[in-house]
Amino acid sequence: MVHEEYRDMMTAKALGSLDQGEARLLETHLASCTDCLSIMDELQETATLLAFAATPMEPSPNVRSQILSAIRPESSAAQEKPAKAPVVQMPTRAATSWSAAQRWGAIAAGLVMTALAIALFVLWKQNLDAKRDLASISTQMEEMRQQLARKQEAESILTAPGARIAGLSGTEMAPSAVGTIAFDQTGRAVLMAKSLPPPPSGKAYQLWFISGGQKIPGKVFMTNEKGEGALSDRIPPQALNSSVFAITLEPESGVTQPTGQIYLVSGS
Amino acid sequence: MHPNQAQVSDLDLLNAIKRRDEQALADLYDRYRVILFGLTMRILNSREEAEDVLQEVLLQVWRRAEDFDEQRGRPFTWLVTMTRSRAIDRLRVLGARQRLSESAARETMEETSDAALDAFKSEQREIVKSALAELTEDQRSTLLLAYFEGLTQSEIAAKLGTPLGTVKTRMRSGMIKLREILGERIKTFS
Repeated sequence: MVHEEYRDMMTAKALGSLDQGEARLLETHLASCTDCLSIMDELQETATLLAFAATPMEPSPNVRSQILSAIRPESSAAQEKPAKAPVVQMPTRAATSWSAAQRWGAIAAGLVMTALAIALFVLWKQNLDAKRDLASISTQMEEMRQQLARKQEAESILTAPGARIAGLSGTEMAPSAVGTIAFDQTGRAVLMAKSLPPPPSGKAYQLWFISGGQKIPGKVFMTNEKGEGALSDRIPPQALNSSVFAITLEPESGVTQPTGQIYLVSGS
Repeated sequence: MHPNQAQVSDLDLLNAIKRRDEQALADLYDRYRVILFGLTMRILNSREEAEDVLQEVLLQVWRRAEDFDEQRGRPFTWLVTMTRSRAIDRLRVLGARQRLSESAARETMEETSDAALDAFKSEQREIVKSALAELTEDQRSTLLLAYFEGLTQSEIAAKLGTPLGTVKTRMRSGMIKLREILGERIKTFS
């Protein structure tokens, strides 16, 4: 039997419109009621069709390449097939009665062939290594390019009138972590942080502007394997003159109110 | 849909993605990019944010393909639900700072859409549009405010100055009607 009291909640959930308190209540119910769960799935299917009410649009072509390059490091190791080792066919001829010169010649040719085969193998190996190095260099270059862009942005902010810098220090969650925010009068801001622990799967760091008791959400960012992270954001006008900055660990899509621990915070 | 694309089902693609098949992810993207991007654009009204969310969604598909449960619905439903929810999350983060006032911009966007893209799934779009047209104005606006603006029932009530109970009733009756009109045709959608 379908539980009437959950009908409205299920409809709202399908449309992504359920208030948070009810969401938890419904979740608990659905975990144990298969009848309602199947109604829920049906409602979800109907709600999905509303997507057709949006006008289809073509994303920029670089979105596709960005997606594919983002997944490549994960799958390339599994997919990399070893190239075929070069095989050099040795001449096989029935040995008849050879003259000494012929024999020496054959041996010399054999040696040359063997040397060639070894050289080829070494070259192939080097090529493989070079390819690997190249891939890692291009990743590093991309990272450096982004860092440079960030530094240039920081520089342009710092040379703007009324530019300011705020230092952030690690809390007990990450005592060695440090961060810097540079911002100008228009609210343009760049954050650079380091020595943050790697966020667990599904989590990311989020920036907050705390002003007059209000916690205003900023963007989320990930860290690299060295624990460094950076992001560009805009400080909301109301927080521009009296803001404390904080970094918390949150679900990777970001939240509107902080739910996780504070990792970095600026002096007030 | 292209005949050669139709041969590989969405489910086949998802299974291939689980096996780390990059091409399958590319194919899934090619198959649904215009509808998913249309959805994120409608919600976020910013090309930069909409493309960023689209990218996040596809990476999530790549990482979490095994979370998809065949028993609970079709891959298309899973994909659209995830996209919509990610876009709304982003909207909330952005919106807590500055409410994007976009209804006017959205209208223009509808007008200027590329005719070639309109052909995409145009049959399904027409069916959904005419089904929506059969709802009352109140039902329709309640559904659209929830789905595209991510407003909760209480927020819709506050925005429209309507009692919460009325919003709940409209939402429920609107969905029931939509389901009735679309009925079994839903199964042919994806």
